[in-house]
Amino acid sequence: MQHPDGRLSLQFEYDAATGRTLLHVAEQRQPLKVVRAFHLEGGAALAHVHNLSGGVLAGDRLSLDLEIGPRARAQVTSTGATRLYRSRAGSSAAEFSAHVLIRERALLEYLPDPLIPFAGSRFRQNTVVNLEDGAGMFWWETVAPGREARGEVFSYDALDFRFALRATGIPVAIEHCHLDPLARPLASPARLGPYRYFSSFFICRAGTSEGTWRDLEKQLQELGRKLSSPVIIWGLGRLPAHGLVVRALSQNSRDISSGLVGFWRVAKQALYGQDAVIPRKIY
Amino acid sequence: MQLLKLLQLADSALPIGSAAHSFGLETLVAEEKLDADSLPCFLRDYLQETGVLEAAFCRASHRLMGSGWTALNQQLSARKPAPESRTASLTLGRRFLQLFLSLENGADPGGEAHYATAFGYVSRLLRVEEELAAAVYLQQTVNALVSACQRLMPLGQQRAARLLWDLKPAILESARASESADPDAACSFTPLVEIASMRHVALGTRLFIS
Repeated sequence: MQHPDGRLSLQFEYDAATGRTLLHVAEQRQPLKVVRAFHLEGGAALAHVHNLSGGVLAGDRLSLDLEIGPRARAQVTSTGATRLYRSRAGSSAAEFSAHVLIRERALLEYLPDPLIPFAGSRFRQNTVVNLEDGAGMFWWETVAPGREARGEVFSYDALDFRFALRATGIPVAIEHCHLDPLARPLASPARLGPYRYFSSFFICRAGTSEGTWRDLEKQLQELGRKLSSPVIIWGLGRLPAHGLVVRALSQNSRDISSGLVGFWRVAKQALYGQDAVIPRKIY
Repeated sequence: MQLLKLLQLADSALPIGSAAHSFGLETLVAEEKLDADSLPCFLRDYLQETGVLEAAFCRASHRLMGSGWTALNQQLSARKPAPESRTASLTLGRRFLQLFLSLENGADPGGEAHYATAFGYVSRLLRVEEELAAAVYLQQTVNALVSACQRLMPLGQQRAARLLWDLKPAILESARASESADPDAACSFTPLVEIASMRHVALGTRLFIS
């Protein structure tokens, strides 16, 4: 069977005449597709990334390139949860790679719905993000344990995630995790413990003053304390430079989704003096 | 002679302040997510994740020729999202290097130094073989964590000694696994420990700095 080599290459450019960000689709190959951009208050452009297959099939090789031009503001989201379908025996893992360049004084808000790995799925994801001076991003990702309603909890074969974030050329966050529930039990207190969902939220703006980060950190620490409960815990840490990372572990997806929005609202206001504009389809 | 020096450098009594850090374990115990019964499993899994990652950086530092020291340490900083644990690693690394250089002739690589990279660097200066250096680094890591746990939970000396004895195969396995793990590619997945380290600052009563 021929597997698709899906590719989406999007460029967002700031139009000084209108004060709006415009979307230019440089390339799109099925199953990935963007229909159009929607203008948001403040001049940002919102794009929904569609996967026409309805999910990620075994052997798929998908790639997403995003370039946010100087002063442009973009919001990129999915149209729903990303389903990772079962891999057939002998088939290669599905792959998704993302290369993101956020140019000077640009902003990217990357807010996809959770990833749901079906039983027997195998998936590799590789993300590289570069921020130029003054560039910012809000970037979250959540991974579910599987289709819980069908009793699938950590029934996938393997998930492999790589994430590298550089700001002004300096590595500020590098992650590589390999989740193999059989060989590396996820309920271990060294890994997820009693939780099933995990999420990371990177909040960055290169060149922001130390005082601003210190104040924001205090606000978000307080919010994390308020939002934590017996079913969810939130943690917050300053990156080596230019940003913060918020982590959550939860026993359900609802508390993670609403909590992420809470952190986003506070951080957007602190860093940009603007309200977070929530993608209409989700909330 | 080199082995004797290495044993001294890996001893928990080395005056660099390692006894002041729990790397998030204090929060895990306080929040009742870790106890004496689950500790053996925790440490095995910790070695499989963080252990292999740190041993890979220890090896990379041992192999380092000429430039690359700063980039290697920046890379390890970027792998540590919890500030307290990152700072602890940097503090111990700098103190470890300073102590060693006060005892033996050698060039200070300068700049920031994580504990794992400093250990690899010093081992190379002592002409200690790379795999042994990685295994000894992991051994002292586990010793320090178990020592912290003895102050955090009902874990007696006999039980702690048995635990450390039984973990030797897991230490060697992680040291071996780190051989092929390029620091850039080494895997680690310990979100609960990372969040525990992030939340440590908010604990009402703290015995440890991290």
